[in-house]
Amino acid sequence: MAYSERRERDLPSPARKPSEDEGPSKPNVRKPDEENELIKRMKKVDPEQAKRYRQRSGQ
Amino acid sequence: MIAKLFGIETEYGLSVEGHSPSEQVHDSINLVSQCQVDHWSGWDYANESPRHDLRGFTVESLSTDPNDATWDLSSTSPPHHNERNDKILVNGSRLYNDHGHPEYATPECTRILDLVAHDIAGENIVYDCCRLLESKIRRHVKVYKNNIDYYGSSYGTHENYLVPRTFQPKLLIEKLLPLLISRPLLVGAGKISPKNKNSLPFEISQRAEHLTEIASVDTLYRRPIFNTRDEPHADPKQWMRLHVICGDANRMQWANAMKFGMIQIVLDLIASEATPVWRLTNINHSLQSVSQQHEKFGKIELEGSSWTTGAHILESYLEAAEKHLKDKHPETDWVIDEWRTALCDLIDDPYRLSDRVDWVAKLKIFEAMAPIRHQDSTTLKAFDLAYSDISPETSLYTAWEMMGNTRTLVNKSRVRDSMFTAPQDTRAALRGEIVKKFSNRLLTLGWRRAVFDHGDETIQIDLPVVPTNWTSLVSDDFLGWLSQISEISRLQEHNQRSNA
Repeated sequence: MAYSERRERDLPSPARKPSEDEGPSKPNVRKPDEENELIKRMKKVDPEQAKRYRQRSGQ
Repeated sequence: MIAKLFGIETEYGLSVEGHSPSEQVHDSINLVSQCQVDHWSGWDYANESPRHDLRGFTVESLSTDPNDATWDLSSTSPPHHNERNDKILVNGSRLYNDHGHPEYATPECTRILDLVAHDIAGENIVYDCCRLLESKIRRHVKVYKNNIDYYGSSYGTHENYLVPRTFQPKLLIEKLLPLLISRPLLVGAGKISPKNKNSLPFEISQRAEHLTEIASVDTLYRRPIFNTRDEPHADPKQWMRLHVICGDANRMQWANAMKFGMIQIVLDLIASEATPVWRLTNINHSLQSVSQQHEKFGKIELEGSSWTTGAHILESYLEAAEKHLKDKHPETDWVIDEWRTALCDLIDDPYRLSDRVDWVAKLKIFEAMAPIRHQDSTTLKAFDLAYSDISPETSLYTAWEMMGNTRTLVNKSRVRDSMFTAPQDTRAALRGEIVKKFSNRLLTLGWRRAVFDHGDETIQIDLPVVPTNWTSLVSDDFLGWLSQISEISRLQEHNQRSNA
Protein backbone atom coordinates (compact mmCIF):
# COMPACT_ATOMS: atom_id res chain seq x y z
CA MET A 1 0.00 0.00 0.00
CA ALA A 2 1.11 3.52 -0.66
CA TYR A 3 -0.44 5.27 2.33
CA SER A 4 2.34 5.09 4.90
CA GLU A 5 3.41 8.72 4.39
CA ARG A 6 -0.15 9.96 4.92
CA ARG A 7 -0.52 7.84 8.01
CA GLU A 8 2.51 9.44 9.62
CA ARG A 9 1.05 12.90 9.15
CA ASP A 10 -2.31 11.71 10.44
CA LEU A 11 -1.18 10.75 13.88
CA PRO A 12 -0.75 13.36 16.60
CA SER A 13 1.98 12.90 19.20
CA PRO A 14 1.06 11.26 22.48
CA ALA A 15 -0.19 13.71 25.11
CA ARG A 16 2.64 13.03 27.47
CA LYS A 17 5.46 10.53 27.47
CA PRO A 18 5.73 8.45 30.64
CA SER A 19 8.57 9.46 32.88
CA GLU A 20 10.13 7.59 35.76
CA ASP A 21 10.53 10.86 37.64
CA GLU A 22 6.81 11.44 37.87
CA GLY A 23 5.01 10.11 40.91
CA PRO A 24 1.42 10.01 42.09
CA SER A 25 -0.32 13.33 42.52
CA LYS A 26 -3.55 14.45 44.09
CA PRO A 27 -6.66 14.17 41.92
CA ASN A 28 -7.34 17.44 40.17
CA VAL A 29 -10.93 18.04 41.12
CA ARG A 30 -10.85 21.82 40.76
CA LYS A 31 -14.36 23.19 40.33
CA PRO A 32 -14.76 25.14 37.10
CA ASP A 33 -15.65 28.81 37.31
CA GLU A 34 -19.25 29.58 38.19
CA GLU A 35 -19.94 31.16 34.84
CA ASN A 36 -18.38 28.53 32.63
CA GLU A 37 -20.38 26.82 29.92
CA LEU A 38 -20.50 23.48 31.71
CA ILE A 39 -22.05 24.90 34.87
CA LYS A 40 -24.50 26.95 32.83
CA ARG A 41 -25.70 23.83 31.02
CA MET A 42 -25.79 21.70 34.19
CA LYS A 43 -28.08 24.25 35.81
CA LYS A 44 -30.45 23.96 32.86
CA VAL A 45 -30.61 20.14 32.89
CA ASP A 46 -34.09 18.94 33.76
CA PRO A 47 -33.51 16.71 36.81
CA GLU A 48 -36.45 14.52 35.81
CA GLN A 49 -35.28 13.84 32.26
CA ALA A 50 -33.61 10.49 33.00
CA LYS A 51 -36.71 9.37 34.89
CA ARG A 52 -38.82 9.96 31.76
CA TYR A 53 -36.27 8.34 29.45
CA ARG A 54 -37.49 4.83 28.50
CA GLN A 55 -36.09 2.87 25.57
CA ARG A 56 -36.76 -0.33 23.69
CA SER A 57 -33.94 -2.83 23.86
CA GLY A 58 -31.50 -2.78 21.00
CA GLN A 59 -28.80 -5.23 20.07
CA MET B 1 -2.35 -5.22 10.06
CA ILE B 2 -4.46 -8.37 10.22
CA ALA B 3 -7.89 -6.68 10.09
CA LYS B 4 -8.27 -5.49 6.51
CA LEU B 5 -11.33 -3.36 7.09
CA PHE B 6 -13.14 -2.14 10.18
CA GLY B 7 -16.18 -0.08 11.05
CA ILE B 8 -18.49 0.86 13.90
CA GLU B 9 -22.27 0.71 14.25
CA THR B 10 -23.99 3.03 16.72
CA GLU B 11 -27.58 2.54 17.86
CA TYR B 12 -28.72 5.91 19.20
CA GLY B 13 -31.17 6.45 22.04
CA LEU B 14 -34.26 8.37 20.88
CA SER B 15 -36.79 10.30 22.92
CA VAL B 16 -39.77 12.20 21.48
CA GLU B 17 -41.74 14.46 23.81
CA GLY B 18 -44.96 12.79 24.94
CA HIS B 19 -44.15 9.46 23.25
CA SER B 20 -43.46 6.09 24.89
CA PRO B 21 -41.36 3.15 23.61
CA SER B 22 -44.57 1.86 22.00
CA GLU B 23 -44.10 4.60 19.38
CA GLN B 24 -40.31 4.40 19.23
CA VAL B 25 -40.10 2.29 16.07
CA HIS B 26 -42.23 4.78 14.14
CA ASP B 27 -40.30 7.71 15.63
CA SER B 28 -37.03 6.14 14.55
CA ILE B 29 -38.34 5.47 11.02
CA ASN B 30 -39.49 9.09 10.82
CA LEU B 31 -36.14 10.39 12.03
CA VAL B 32 -34.20 8.37 9.42
CA SER B 33 -36.57 9.67 6.73
CA GLN B 34 -35.32 13.22 7.40
CA CYS B 35 -31.83 12.41 6.05
CA GLN B 36 -30.71 15.24 3.75
CA VAL B 37 -27.34 13.76 2.77
CA ASP B 38 -27.48 12.27 -0.76
CA HIS B 39 -28.48 8.63 -0.48
CA TRP B 40 -30.07 5.62 -2.13
CA SER B 41 -32.96 3.94 -0.29
CA GLY B 42 -32.65 0.17 0.04
CA TRP B 43 -30.32 -2.57 1.25
CA ASP B 44 -29.04 -5.90 -0.03
CA TYR B 45 -30.17 -8.53 2.48
CA ALA B 46 -29.24 -11.48 0.22
CA ASN B 47 -26.10 -12.48 2.11
CA GLU B 48 -27.38 -12.06 5.67
CA SER B 49 -27.70 -15.15 7.86
CA PRO B 50 -28.25 -14.13 11.49
CA ARG B 51 -28.96 -17.69 12.75
CA HIS B 52 -25.70 -19.20 11.42
CA ASP B 53 -22.96 -19.30 14.03
CA LEU B 54 -19.27 -18.95 13.14
CA ARG B 55 -18.56 -21.93 15.34
CA GLY B 56 -20.32 -24.22 12.87
CA PHE B 57 -23.96 -24.56 13.87
CA THR B 58 -27.32 -22.89 13.23
CA VAL B 59 -29.86 -21.93 15.90
CA GLU B 60 -33.58 -22.44 15.31
CA SER B 61 -34.63 -18.94 16.32
CA LEU B 62 -33.33 -15.73 17.85
CA SER B 63 -34.49 -14.51 21.27
CA THR B 64 -36.46 -11.33 21.75
CA ASP B 65 -36.66 -9.06 24.77
CA PRO B 66 -39.86 -9.72 26.80
CA ASN B 67 -40.12 -6.03 27.75
CA ASP B 68 -40.22 -5.05 24.07
CA ALA B 69 -43.08 -7.48 23.52
CA THR B 70 -45.02 -5.55 26.19
CA TRP B 71 -44.38 -2.26 24.38
CA ASP B 72 -45.58 -3.84 21.12
CA LEU B 73 -48.85 -4.93 22.75
CA SER B 74 -49.65 -1.35 23.78
CA SER B 75 -48.69 0.14 20.41
CA THR B 76 -51.53 1.72 18.49
CA SER B 77 -49.50 2.11 15.28
CA PRO B 78 -49.85 -0.52 12.56
CA PRO B 79 -46.66 -2.31 11.42
CA HIS B 80 -44.70 -0.17 8.99
CA HIS B 81 -44.32 -1.50 5.43
CA ASN B 82 -40.64 -0.50 5.39
CA GLU B 83 -39.57 -0.93 9.00
CA ARG B 84 -35.81 -0.71 8.42
CA ASN B 85 -36.07 2.38 6.19
CA ASP B 86 -32.54 1.62 4.92
CA LYS B 87 -30.49 4.40 3.40
CA ILE B 88 -27.03 4.11 1.87
CA LEU B 89 -25.31 7.47 1.99
CA VAL B 90 -22.91 9.05 -0.46
CA ASN B 91 -20.11 8.64 2.11
CA GLY B 92 -20.53 4.85 1.92
CA SER B 93 -22.32 4.54 5.29
CA ARG B 94 -25.67 3.00 6.17
CA LEU B 95 -28.42 4.79 8.14
CA TYR B 96 -31.53 2.89 9.21
CA ASN B 97 -33.97 2.04 11.96
CA ASP B 98 -32.90 -0.90 14.12
CA HIS B 99 -35.53 -1.98 16.68
CA GLY B 100 -36.57 1.62 17.36
CA HIS B 101 -33.05 3.05 17.40
CA PRO B 102 -31.65 5.19 14.57
CA GLU B 103 -28.49 3.30 13.64
CA TYR B 104 -25.49 4.70 11.78
CA ALA B 105 -22.94 2.22 10.44
CA THR B 106 -19.74 3.92 9.31
CA PRO B 107 -18.22 3.11 5.95
CA GLU B 108 -15.36 0.62 6.05
CA CYS B 109 -12.05 2.16 7.10
CA THR B 110 -8.40 1.06 7.20
CA ARG B 111 -7.17 3.89 9.44
CA ILE B 112 -8.41 4.56 12.94
CA LEU B 113 -8.57 8.33 12.53
CA ASP B 114 -10.77 7.89 9.46
CA LEU B 115 -13.02 5.79 11.65
CA VAL B 116 -13.11 8.45 14.38
CA ALA B 117 -14.01 11.13 11.81
CA HIS B 118 -16.76 9.00 10.24
CA ASP B 119 -18.24 8.11 13.62
CA ILE B 120 -18.60 11.82 14.48
CA ALA B 121 -19.90 12.49 10.95
CA GLY B 122 -22.64 10.00 11.87
CA GLU B 123 -23.47 12.02 15.01
CA ASN B 124 -23.83 15.15 12.87
CA ILE B 125 -26.01 13.42 10.26
CA VAL B 126 -28.30 11.93 12.93
CA TYR B 127 -28.48 15.29 14.74
CA ASP B 128 -29.50 17.06 11.50
CA CYS B 129 -32.29 14.45 11.14
CA CYS B 130 -33.31 15.13 14.76
CA ARG B 131 -33.69 18.90 14.18
CA LEU B 132 -35.74 18.36 11.01
CA LEU B 133 -38.01 15.86 12.74
CA GLU B 134 -38.54 18.32 15.60
CA SER B 135 -39.69 21.07 13.27
CA LYS B 136 -41.88 18.64 11.34
CA ILE B 137 -43.79 17.14 14.28
CA ARG B 138 -43.52 20.21 16.55
CA ARG B 139 -42.37 18.21 19.57
CA HIS B 140 -39.03 18.15 21.35
CA VAL B 141 -36.82 15.33 20.03
CA LYS B 142 -33.66 14.21 21.81
CA VAL B 143 -31.01 11.81 20.52
CA TYR B 144 -28.42 10.29 22.84
CA LYS B 145 -25.15 8.53 22.05
CA ASN B 146 -25.22 6.08 24.94
CA ASN B 147 -26.18 2.45 25.58
CA ILE B 148 -28.75 2.45 28.38
CA ASP B 149 -31.91 3.85 29.82
CA TYR B 150 -32.17 3.62 33.59
CA TYR B 151 -34.81 0.87 33.60
CA GLY B 152 -32.76 -2.09 32.31
CA SER B 153 -32.83 -1.58 28.53
CA SER B 154 -29.61 -1.52 26.55
CA TYR B 155 -28.68 -0.89 22.91
CA GLY B 156 -25.38 -1.36 21.22
CA THR B 157 -22.25 0.15 19.80
CA HIS B 158 -20.75 -2.63 17.73
CA GLU B 159 -17.26 -3.02 16.32
CA ASN B 160 -16.57 -4.96 13.14
CA TYR B 161 -13.19 -6.26 12.02
CA LEU B 162 -12.77 -8.21 8.79
CA VAL B 163 -10.16 -10.91 9.43
CA PRO B 164 -8.92 -13.89 7.37
CA ARG B 165 -11.00 -17.04 7.65
CA THR B 166 -7.85 -18.93 8.61
CA PHE B 167 -8.28 -17.67 12.20
CA GLN B 168 -10.16 -20.07 14.46
CA PRO B 169 -13.14 -18.30 16.11
CA LYS B 170 -12.45 -20.14 19.37
CA LEU B 171 -8.86 -18.88 19.42
CA LEU B 172 -9.91 -15.28 18.70
CA ILE B 173 -12.43 -15.37 21.53
CA GLU B 174 -9.98 -16.92 24.00
CA LYS B 175 -7.19 -14.45 23.19
CA LEU B 176 -9.32 -11.31 23.07
CA LEU B 177 -11.53 -11.98 26.10
CA PRO B 178 -9.06 -10.79 28.79
CA LEU B 179 -8.56 -7.52 26.89
CA LEU B 180 -12.29 -6.92 26.42
CA ILE B 181 -13.01 -7.45 30.12
CA SER B 182 -10.22 -5.05 31.11
CA ARG B 183 -10.35 -2.30 28.49
CA PRO B 184 -13.26 -0.31 30.03
CA LEU B 185 -10.57 1.07 32.37
CA LEU B 186 -9.29 3.04 29.35
CA VAL B 187 -12.29 3.27 27.01
CA GLY B 188 -15.44 2.87 29.15
CA ALA B 189 -18.15 5.51 28.81
CA GLY B 190 -19.24 5.37 32.47
CA LYS B 191 -22.73 5.61 33.96
CA ILE B 192 -24.57 6.44 37.15
CA SER B 193 -25.50 3.17 38.80
CA PRO B 194 -27.06 3.44 42.27
CA LYS B 195 -26.94 -0.33 42.67
CA ASN B 196 -23.14 -0.27 42.78
CA LYS B 197 -22.67 -0.57 46.53
CA ASN B 198 -18.88 -0.81 46.37
CA SER B 199 -18.03 2.89 46.44
CA LEU B 200 -19.61 5.65 44.33
CA PRO B 201 -23.00 5.08 42.62
CA PHE B 202 -21.02 4.83 39.40
CA GLU B 203 -19.72 2.20 36.94
CA ILE B 204 -17.09 2.70 34.28
CA SER B 205 -18.85 0.54 31.64
CA GLN B 206 -22.33 1.14 30.25
CA ARG B 207 -22.63 -2.35 28.80
CA ALA B 208 -21.02 -4.66 31.40
CA GLU B 209 -24.23 -5.00 33.41
CA HIS B 210 -26.11 -6.15 30.29
CA LEU B 211 -23.70 -8.88 29.14
CA THR B 212 -24.39 -12.44 30.25
CA GLU B 213 -22.75 -14.62 27.60
CA ILE B 214 -19.28 -14.86 26.09
CA ALA B 215 -20.38 -15.72 22.53
CA SER B 216 -23.77 -16.07 20.88
CA VAL B 217 -25.85 -15.11 17.84
CA ASP B 218 -28.53 -13.67 20.14
CA THR B 219 -28.22 -9.93 20.65
CA LEU B 220 -31.53 -8.61 22.02
CA TYR B 221 -31.66 -10.79 25.12
CA ARG B 222 -28.92 -12.66 27.02
CA ARG B 223 -26.35 -10.52 25.24
CA PRO B 224 -22.85 -11.78 24.48
CA ILE B 225 -19.44 -10.11 24.34
CA PHE B 226 -18.92 -11.60 20.86
CA ASN B 227 -21.74 -11.82 18.35
CA THR B 228 -20.80 -14.98 16.45
CA ARG B 229 -23.30 -14.75 13.59
CA ASP B 230 -21.54 -15.84 10.43
CA GLU B 231 -21.98 -12.79 8.23
CA PRO B 232 -18.60 -11.75 6.85
CA HIS B 233 -20.04 -9.27 4.32
CA ALA B 234 -17.29 -10.54 2.01
CA ASP B 235 -16.32 -13.84 0.40
CA PRO B 236 -16.97 -16.36 3.22
CA LYS B 237 -14.26 -18.67 1.91
CA GLN B 238 -11.63 -16.01 2.58
CA TRP B 239 -13.01 -13.81 5.32
CA MET B 240 -14.91 -13.70 8.56
CA ARG B 241 -16.19 -10.83 10.62
CA LEU B 242 -15.06 -10.38 14.20
CA HIS B 243 -18.15 -8.73 15.70
CA VAL B 244 -17.50 -7.26 19.16
CA ILE B 245 -20.67 -5.99 20.83
CA CYS B 246 -19.59 -5.31 24.41
CA GLY B 247 -18.18 -1.81 23.75
CA ASP B 248 -19.61 1.49 24.99
CA ALA B 249 -20.66 4.48 22.87
CA ASN B 250 -17.82 6.96 23.23
CA ARG B 251 -18.00 10.72 22.85
CA MET B 252 -14.23 11.09 23.33
CA GLN B 253 -12.29 10.81 20.07
CA TRP B 254 -9.29 9.27 21.83
CA ALA B 255 -11.35 6.51 23.45
CA ASN B 256 -12.93 5.61 20.12
CA ALA B 257 -9.53 5.48 18.42
CA MET B 258 -8.00 3.34 21.16
CA LYS B 259 -10.96 0.96 21.25
CA PHE B 260 -10.10 -0.03 17.68
CA GLY B 261 -6.34 0.39 18.01
CA MET B 262 -6.08 -1.98 20.97
CA ILE B 263 -8.09 -4.72 19.23
CA GLN B 264 -5.98 -4.37 16.08
CA ILE B 265 -2.85 -4.79 18.16
CA VAL B 266 -4.16 -7.92 19.85
CA LEU B 267 -5.17 -9.35 16.46
CA ASP B 268 -1.60 -8.78 15.26
CA LEU B 269 -0.28 -10.42 18.44
CA ILE B 270 -2.56 -13.42 17.85
CA ALA B 271 -1.15 -13.73 14.32
CA SER B 272 2.39 -13.64 15.79
CA GLU B 273 1.41 -16.17 18.51
CA ALA B 274 2.59 -13.61 21.06
CA THR B 275 -0.48 -12.93 23.21
CA PRO B 276 -0.15 -13.21 27.00
CA VAL B 277 -1.79 -16.31 28.47
CA TRP B 278 -4.60 -15.71 30.97
CA ARG B 279 -6.86 -18.53 32.15
CA LEU B 280 -10.04 -16.78 33.24
CA THR B 281 -12.97 -18.16 35.21
CA ASN B 282 -16.26 -16.55 36.26
CA ILE B 283 -16.25 -14.09 33.37
CA ASN B 284 -19.47 -12.36 34.44
CA HIS B 285 -18.16 -11.60 37.89
CA SER B 286 -14.92 -10.19 36.43
CA LEU B 287 -16.84 -7.98 33.98
CA GLN B 288 -18.88 -6.51 36.81
CA SER B 289 -15.86 -6.15 39.05
CA VAL B 290 -13.86 -4.08 36.53
CA SER B 291 -16.91 -1.91 35.91
CA GLN B 292 -17.77 -1.38 39.59
CA GLN B 293 -14.41 -1.43 41.38
CA HIS B 294 -12.44 0.89 39.16
CA GLU B 295 -10.39 2.32 42.04
CA LYS B 296 -8.86 -1.16 42.46
CA PHE B 297 -8.80 -1.80 38.68
CA GLY B 298 -11.25 -4.70 39.13
CA LYS B 299 -10.72 -8.22 40.40
CA ILE B 300 -10.45 -10.73 37.58
CA GLU B 301 -10.75 -14.35 38.62
CA LEU B 302 -8.27 -16.90 37.29
CA GLU B 303 -8.15 -20.68 37.32
CA GLY B 304 -6.68 -22.19 40.48
CA SER B 305 -8.38 -19.77 42.91
CA SER B 306 -6.06 -16.98 41.80
CA TRP B 307 -6.92 -13.51 40.58
CA THR B 308 -5.45 -10.45 38.89
CA THR B 309 -6.57 -6.91 38.01
CA GLY B 310 -7.68 -5.30 34.76
CA ALA B 311 -4.63 -3.04 34.91
CA HIS B 312 -2.30 -6.06 35.05
CA ILE B 313 -4.01 -7.60 32.04
CA LEU B 314 -3.76 -4.35 30.04
CA GLU B 315 -0.07 -4.14 31.00
CA SER B 316 0.58 -7.72 29.81
CA TYR B 317 -0.88 -7.06 26.33
CA LEU B 318 0.99 -3.76 26.11
CA GLU B 319 4.32 -5.37 27.04
CA ALA B 320 3.80 -8.00 24.35
CA ALA B 321 2.99 -5.28 21.81
CA GLU B 322 6.09 -3.27 22.76
CA LYS B 323 8.21 -6.38 22.35
CA HIS B 324 6.76 -7.79 19.12
CA LEU B 325 5.07 -4.98 17.17
CA LYS B 326 7.07 -1.78 17.77
CA ASP B 327 8.63 0.07 14.81
CA LYS B 328 6.69 -1.86 12.17
CA HIS B 329 3.80 0.45 11.41
CA PRO B 330 3.28 4.14 12.35
CA GLU B 331 -0.33 3.65 13.42
CA THR B 332 0.57 0.69 15.63
CA ASP B 333 3.38 2.72 17.22
CA TRP B 334 0.96 5.56 17.95
CA VAL B 335 -1.50 3.19 19.68
CA ILE B 336 1.29 1.56 21.72
CA ASP B 337 2.65 4.95 22.86
CA GLU B 338 -0.81 6.22 23.76
CA TRP B 339 -1.62 2.97 25.57
CA ARG B 340 1.58 3.24 27.65
CA THR B 341 0.94 6.89 28.56
CA ALA B 342 -2.69 6.23 29.48
CA LEU B 343 -1.89 3.17 31.58
CA CYS B 344 0.69 5.20 33.53
CA ASP B 345 -1.94 7.91 34.06
CA LEU B 346 -4.55 5.38 35.16
CA ILE B 347 -2.26 3.98 37.82
CA ASP B 348 -0.67 7.28 38.96
CA ASP B 349 -3.70 9.57 38.82
CA PRO B 350 -6.81 8.52 36.84
CA TYR B 351 -8.10 12.11 36.75
CA ARG B 352 -5.35 12.88 34.20
CA LEU B 353 -7.44 10.84 31.74
CA SER B 354 -10.34 13.30 31.87
CA ASP B 355 -9.32 14.68 28.46
CA ARG B 356 -9.41 11.24 26.77
CA VAL B 357 -11.66 8.81 28.64
CA ASP B 358 -15.41 9.36 28.98
CA TRP B 359 -15.89 7.74 32.38
CA VAL B 360 -13.20 9.93 33.93
CA ALA B 361 -14.57 13.08 32.29
CA LYS B 362 -18.02 12.20 33.66
CA LEU B 363 -16.69 11.89 37.20
CA LYS B 364 -15.06 15.32 36.95
CA ILE B 365 -18.14 16.88 35.38
CA PHE B 366 -20.57 15.40 37.90
CA GLU B 367 -18.37 16.72 40.71
CA ALA B 368 -18.42 20.23 39.25
CA MET B 369 -21.57 21.04 41.22
CA ALA B 370 -20.92 19.04 44.40
CA PRO B 371 -19.28 15.78 45.49
CA ILE B 372 -21.12 12.87 43.89
CA ARG B 373 -21.89 11.34 47.28
CA HIS B 374 -23.89 14.43 48.23
CA GLN B 375 -26.07 14.47 45.09
CA ASP B 376 -29.24 12.47 44.58
CA SER B 377 -29.23 9.73 41.97
CA THR B 378 -32.12 11.22 39.95
CA THR B 379 -30.12 14.39 39.27
CA LEU B 380 -26.93 12.44 38.59
CA LYS B 381 -28.73 10.25 36.04
CA ALA B 382 -30.01 13.42 34.35
CA PHE B 383 -26.42 14.72 34.10
CA ASP B 384 -25.31 11.33 32.79
CA LEU B 385 -27.96 11.45 30.07
CA ALA B 386 -27.12 15.08 29.24
CA TYR B 387 -23.46 14.13 28.69
CA SER B 388 -24.53 11.76 25.87
CA ASP B 389 -26.99 14.25 24.32
CA ILE B 390 -25.72 14.84 20.74
CA SER B 391 -27.11 18.39 20.55
CA PRO B 392 -24.16 20.81 20.46
CA GLU B 393 -26.35 23.37 22.25
CA THR B 394 -27.22 21.31 25.33
CA SER B 395 -24.74 18.41 25.62
CA LEU B 396 -22.52 18.36 28.71
CA TYR B 397 -19.85 16.54 26.70
CA THR B 398 -19.84 19.34 24.12
CA ALA B 399 -19.47 21.93 26.89
CA TRP B 400 -16.48 19.97 28.22
CA GLU B 401 -15.01 19.91 24.70
CA MET B 402 -15.70 23.65 24.11
CA MET B 403 -13.83 24.46 27.32
CA GLY B 404 -10.71 22.86 25.82
CA ASN B 405 -10.79 19.83 28.12
CA THR B 406 -10.62 17.08 25.45
CA ARG B 407 -7.95 15.69 23.15
CA THR B 408 -8.80 16.44 19.50
CA LEU B 409 -7.58 13.88 16.95
CA VAL B 410 -9.71 14.94 13.97
CA ASN B 411 -10.79 18.52 13.34
CA LYS B 412 -14.24 19.78 12.34
CA SER B 413 -13.27 20.16 8.70
CA ARG B 414 -12.28 16.49 8.44
CA VAL B 415 -15.52 15.48 10.13
CA ARG B 416 -17.50 17.69 7.74
CA ASP B 417 -15.76 16.08 4.73
CA SER B 418 -16.57 12.65 6.14
CA MET B 419 -20.30 13.44 6.05
CA PHE B 420 -20.15 13.53 2.26
CA THR B 421 -17.04 11.56 1.26
CA ALA B 422 -16.12 7.92 1.84
CA PRO B 423 -12.61 6.80 2.83
CA GLN B 424 -10.91 6.68 -0.59
CA ASP B 425 -8.89 3.54 0.09
CA THR B 426 -11.72 1.08 0.78
CA ARG B 427 -14.69 -0.37 -1.07
CA ALA B 428 -16.84 2.29 0.65
CA ALA B 429 -15.50 4.74 -1.97
CA LEU B 430 -17.06 2.58 -4.70
CA ARG B 431 -20.34 2.41 -2.80
CA GLY B 432 -20.34 6.20 -2.46
CA GLU B 433 -19.59 6.62 -6.18
CA ILE B 434 -22.48 4.32 -7.04
CA VAL B 435 -24.89 6.32 -4.87
CA LYS B 436 -23.62 9.59 -6.33
CA LYS B 437 -23.56 8.68 -10.01
CA PHE B 438 -25.54 5.54 -10.78
CA SER B 439 -28.30 5.14 -8.18
CA ASN B 440 -30.92 5.33 -10.97
CA ARG B 441 -29.56 1.99 -12.26
CA LEU B 442 -29.36 0.26 -8.89
CA LEU B 443 -31.34 -2.90 -8.18
CA THR B 444 -29.61 -3.52 -4.87
CA LEU B 445 -26.55 -2.43 -2.91
CA GLY B 446 -24.90 -3.52 0.34
CA TRP B 447 -21.54 -3.96 2.02
CA ARG B 448 -20.42 -6.62 -0.41
CA ARG B 449 -21.94 -6.09 -3.87
CA ALA B 450 -23.92 -3.87 -6.20
CA VAL B 451 -26.43 -5.09 -8.75
CA PHE B 452 -27.44 -2.83 -11.65
CA ASP B 453 -30.24 -2.86 -14.17
CA HIS B 454 -28.67 -2.69 -17.63
CA GLY B 455 -31.52 -3.03 -20.10
CA ASP B 456 -32.20 -6.70 -20.71
CA GLU B 457 -29.54 -7.86 -18.32
CA THR B 458 -28.35 -7.28 -14.77
CA ILE B 459 -24.75 -6.48 -13.95
CA GLN B 460 -23.30 -7.44 -10.57
CA ILE B 461 -20.01 -6.13 -9.22
CA ASP B 462 -18.35 -7.35 -6.04
CA LEU B 463 -16.97 -4.52 -3.94
CA PRO B 464 -13.38 -5.64 -3.33
CA VAL B 465 -12.02 -6.08 0.18
CA VAL B 466 -8.39 -5.36 -0.69
CA PRO B 467 -7.58 -1.70 0.10
CA THR B 468 -7.24 0.14 -3.18
CA ASN B 469 -6.94 3.82 -4.04
CA TRP B 470 -10.17 4.61 -5.87
CA THR B 471 -9.51 8.33 -6.33
CA SER B 472 -8.66 7.84 -10.02
CA LEU B 473 -12.25 6.82 -10.85
CA VAL B 474 -13.37 9.75 -12.96
CA SER B 475 -15.81 8.42 -15.55
CA ASP B 476 -19.44 9.53 -15.28
CA ASP B 477 -20.40 7.07 -18.01
CA PHE B 478 -21.65 3.78 -16.52
CA LEU B 479 -19.83 1.40 -18.86
CA GLY B 480 -16.67 3.52 -18.79
CA TRP B 481 -16.81 3.48 -14.99
CA LEU B 482 -17.23 -0.30 -14.88
CA SER B 483 -14.28 -0.62 -17.24
CA GLN B 484 -12.13 1.56 -14.94
CA ILE B 485 -13.03 -0.55 -11.91
CA SER B 486 -12.18 -3.70 -13.80
CA GLU B 487 -8.78 -2.27 -14.83
CA ILE B 488 -7.91 -1.11 -11.28
CA SER B 489 -8.95 -4.48 -9.84
CA ARG B 490 -6.83 -6.27 -12.47
CA LEU B 491 -3.78 -4.15 -11.59
CA GLN B 492 -4.40 -4.71 -7.89
CA GLU B 493 -4.51 -8.49 -8.34
CA HIS B 494 -1.33 -8.32 -10.44
CA ASN B 495 0.44 -6.33 -7.68
CA GLN B 496 -0.73 -8.77 -5.05
CA ARG B 497 0.61 -11.72 -7.04
CA SER B 498 3.92 -9.89 -7.55
CA ASN B 499 4.20 -9.07 -3.83
CA ALA B 500 3.40 -12.68 -2.92
